[in-house]
Amino acid sequence: MTVGRQAADETTTPARGWGLNTWDSPWLNFKFLLGVAIVLVILLFGLLGPLFWDTDLAYTGAGPLNKPPVWEEEGLPEHPLGTESNGRDMLAQLILATPSSLKVGFLAAIIGMGIGMALGSVAGYVGGWWDHVIRTISDSAITIPALVVLVVIASYVQMTDTTAMALILAAFAWPGPTRLVRSQILTLRERSYVRMAHLSGAPALEIMFVEMLPNMLPWLAASLTGGISAAILGATGLEVLGLGPTRVPSLGLIINQATTNAALVRGLVWWWLPPIIILMVIFVGFFLMTIGLDEIANPRIRQFSSSRRERIAAGEAPSVEHVDGGVAARRDAALEVDDLHVHYFTPRGEVIAANGVNFNVRRGEILGLVGESGCGKTTVAMAILQVVQPPGRIVQGAVRIEEQDLVSLSGRELREVRWRDLALVPQGAMNSLNPVTPVREQMADAILAHENIGRAALEQRILGLLNDVGLPERVIDMYPHELSGGMKQRVCIAMSIALNPQVIIADEPTSALDVVVQRVVAQTLLEVKERLGVSMVMIGHDMGLQAQLVDRIAVMYAGNLVEVAPVESAFSEPLHPYTQLLIESIPSIRERKPLNVTEGLTHDLRNPPPGCIFQFRCQHVEQICRERRPDLVEREDDHLVACWLYEPERHALIELEEA
Amino acid sequence: MRGLTKEYVLQRFLMYLLTIWLGSTLIFVIPRLAPGDPVSEMVGRLSLDAGYIENADKLIESWKARFGLDAPIHVQYFRYWGNVFRLNFGYSLSHFPTEAWTMVRDALPWSLGLLTVATVLSFSIGVTIGSLMGWRRTPRWLQLILPSSLTFTAIPYFMFGIMLIYLVAFELDWLPATGAYSRRVDPGWNLPFIKNVLTHAILPVVSIVLTSMGGWALGMRGLMISVNNEDYFLLAQVKGLSPTRIFFRYGVRNAILPALTALALGLGGLISGSILVEFIFAYPGTGYTLYQAIISQDYTVTQAIANLIILVTATSVFLLDLLYPFIDPRITYKRNMR
Repeated sequence: MTVGRQAADETTTPARGWGLNTWDSPWLNFKFLLGVAIVLVILLFGLLGPLFWDTDLAYTGAGPLNKPPVWEEEGLPEHPLGTESNGRDMLAQLILATPSSLKVGFLAAIIGMGIGMALGSVAGYVGGWWDHVIRTISDSAITIPALVVLVVIASYVQMTDTTAMALILAAFAWPGPTRLVRSQILTLRERSYVRMAHLSGAPALEIMFVEMLPNMLPWLAASLTGGISAAILGATGLEVLGLGPTRVPSLGLIINQATTNAALVRGLVWWWLPPIIILMVIFVGFFLMTIGLDEIANPRIRQFSSSRRERIAAGEAPSVEHVDGGVAARRDAALEVDDLHVHYFTPRGEVIAANGVNFNVRRGEILGLVGESGCGKTTVAMAILQVVQPPGRIVQGAVRIEEQDLVSLSGRELREVRWRDLALVPQGAMNSLNPVTPVREQMADAILAHENIGRAALEQRILGLLNDVGLPERVIDMYPHELSGGMKQRVCIAMSIALNPQVIIADEPTSALDVVVQRVVAQTLLEVKERLGVSMVMIGHDMGLQAQLVDRIAVMYAGNLVEVAPVESAFSEPLHPYTQLLIESIPSIRERKPLNVTEGLTHDLRNPPPGCIFQFRCQHVEQICRERRPDLVEREDDHLVACWLYEPERHALIELEEA
Repeated sequence: MRGLTKEYVLQRFLMYLLTIWLGSTLIFVIPRLAPGDPVSEMVGRLSLDAGYIENADKLIESWKARFGLDAPIHVQYFRYWGNVFRLNFGYSLSHFPTEAWTMVRDALPWSLGLLTVATVLSFSIGVTIGSLMGWRRTPRWLQLILPSSLTFTAIPYFMFGIMLIYLVAFELDWLPATGAYSRRVDPGWNLPFIKNVLTHAILPVVSIVLTSMGGWALGMRGLMISVNNEDYFLLAQVKGLSPTRIFFRYGVRNAILPALTALALGLGGLISGSILVEFIFAYPGTGYTLYQAIISQDYTVTQAIANLIILVTATSVFLLDLLYPFIDPRITYKRNMR
């Protein structure tokens, strides 16, 4: 029912509030900052060097020939880094050469970036014929080996200064940024916050600068730092070949002179090594900036590394406390979820996504698990399947099928149980099939992972399964992109029943489909369940659909189960105030009433309040609700609820105790 | 609608022609945009060497006529294309009776061999390392060791090459420093020669592989992490498939597609870098020949080599493009892919 929250998150520009003033800003990336620091140090060496050292010593005949650095025996204090075969002082040469190498890189990359941003925006924003031409030319230009053309240019044009060289290098620096800006704009303009800006009538330039640019910034910066080091590499390459400006000292030129004077064979290490070291430090600096910016731009990479660090800190194996014994395994339960706690260990604190969730799924029944977005129902599904993604982890509890606790199984044992006993009809059917392999292979590998059957039998089995869900036989050789959304979802259903499992978890199986296809898919699920007698957990937020499909319903709020009841009594006399709210909000044609849903989650999941989890939104809240958390207790026949309203005796008892 | 459709092949082929046309036209235009012209410059240099040349103007005129430089620019351009098509670049100026094309032809196998080996090695090693780095189930000890393979990533090939020459060839004297083979062996299909060629190739190949595999590894790591978060990857786990199957059929299989695109786009840069490696190692491939041609102002050989390198690069990219639909069945559907 409450899809509003998710949508609201997407319509505000995510980059806002990324200012450097907050301490957890993604820009405070260690690699990026280290790279910036390194480049700054090199830059300062070049800029401040002339103040401390006489750079006239960089010219021929300024000192004795081939003197080693001062720390070697023959070294002279007036030439601390030694001199080369023309008597030029190495320190003075390096001081002069360093800033000129950096200058070429910056100049060329910035010009290239400017051209790239202009062309890329036109291609991405105007589109059509412009896009076609710009893309074709930049794509073919990017494959031309730049240095070859540069070398040819350099052989005809005597480049006198670094600016000329930077301009020529810039001619090869634009295709990369063009491609990047174009693809970024194409991606971003599909985002809802950019669409919203469009609809609200913002001018194109404003959208470009206010809504898009901040989000592209890390990508652009990464492209710029990459471009700078590529340009420095190109310039240095020409200089090393002796094709750069020969009158201005540059790091590449020093290497060229050293190699052409056989400094390597003659053991004049101090001639060729220092420029290489400075260049390497520069390249390492820009490289660190580039990969740091990549992490800033791509939160998944950031999350991957941080979750790994956390796992290493916390120890690999999930430390699960087992609360076994007291709970007698109920004979009629196909699946038991027992006191399940799932926490997400985020840098800003532990998010409690499932807090002591308890329920059974009886043989042959469909249990509906409902609640608003973010209440933890998908987390519970993932925890049942043992695929909680880091930084999340099951911290306590058990999930039993056939009296076997899945949480405590080893990898191999778990693999055997998976799909054979417990299958999944996934939420995003659109993306749940591997895009590059045909349906046949994806169904076959699920079967072959658990059974040994021959080729012909396998094919017969797959065709039978497709037939079971009403798909034509030709689907077997089709790729996911050749199927419609409903067909993909039915392939997923066919796959889920391939091994005749005990339990199927259906995670919002109809959510991304249009209404008619929703019907067909729901019908297919129901038929499959009737025929196979499989038990099912049906997760969803569509109360109307739930009412028609499920036998019992479990209502979840902020990581806690608040009510579990047979579907008839849940709808006819809902007990928990939150369930009442959910059922009230089902739209009805007969009477149009104002929607009573006031707000979304009102407390921080990292820090739940003491007492009842629903207290902030509850109309009947009392003192006890703020102090003690109610247990999930059976009030009527098979109807469980966690609410103080229905426990007057205990309520009174506690008050007495406290008095 | 799978595999190679006519439309796709045609589109890629046009792209291929466009790349060659763009590159070759650049090679044609650049010298003509430059101040002065090559012939007068050359005669100027000759007169510097000889002190004085009689009738220098006439000499310039006759040479220009000989090279067809007196014709209008569009005529020159069409003639140039005719020559490029027939691989007729005229005689080498520095090694006169030899044809420019012959020199290029002799150099090509060395470069192709060196680069193919180096590229295949660095791409496959890098992709393997990156895949393992971006996979949650990689053993801990491997996760700790793998990042060390990125050490040399930021260093350009040729700088690493210089240091390798100094350390391995001069200080330790383990491997030959320069050239493709020693003078003392007989070129031909005999064992000592092949062994000799291989030992000479080790340092250049190592310097390219060690410095470029990290880039592939980093890219592949990011792609694997993205795939790790895909729904189909999760479903594969829930299906109870073995970790190796998930890794190869669901992880690497999907993540490698953009990496292959990057390989096609990166070939230009790779080949560019190899010019410097060949220069540093005096390896007699096209890059080194190009360098020598430029130093000796040998314009015909320069043109021939530049055109050839562009041709080879474009052809490799074209071949990769033709391979792609067999690996990614969606390609013919994606309009905005590349």
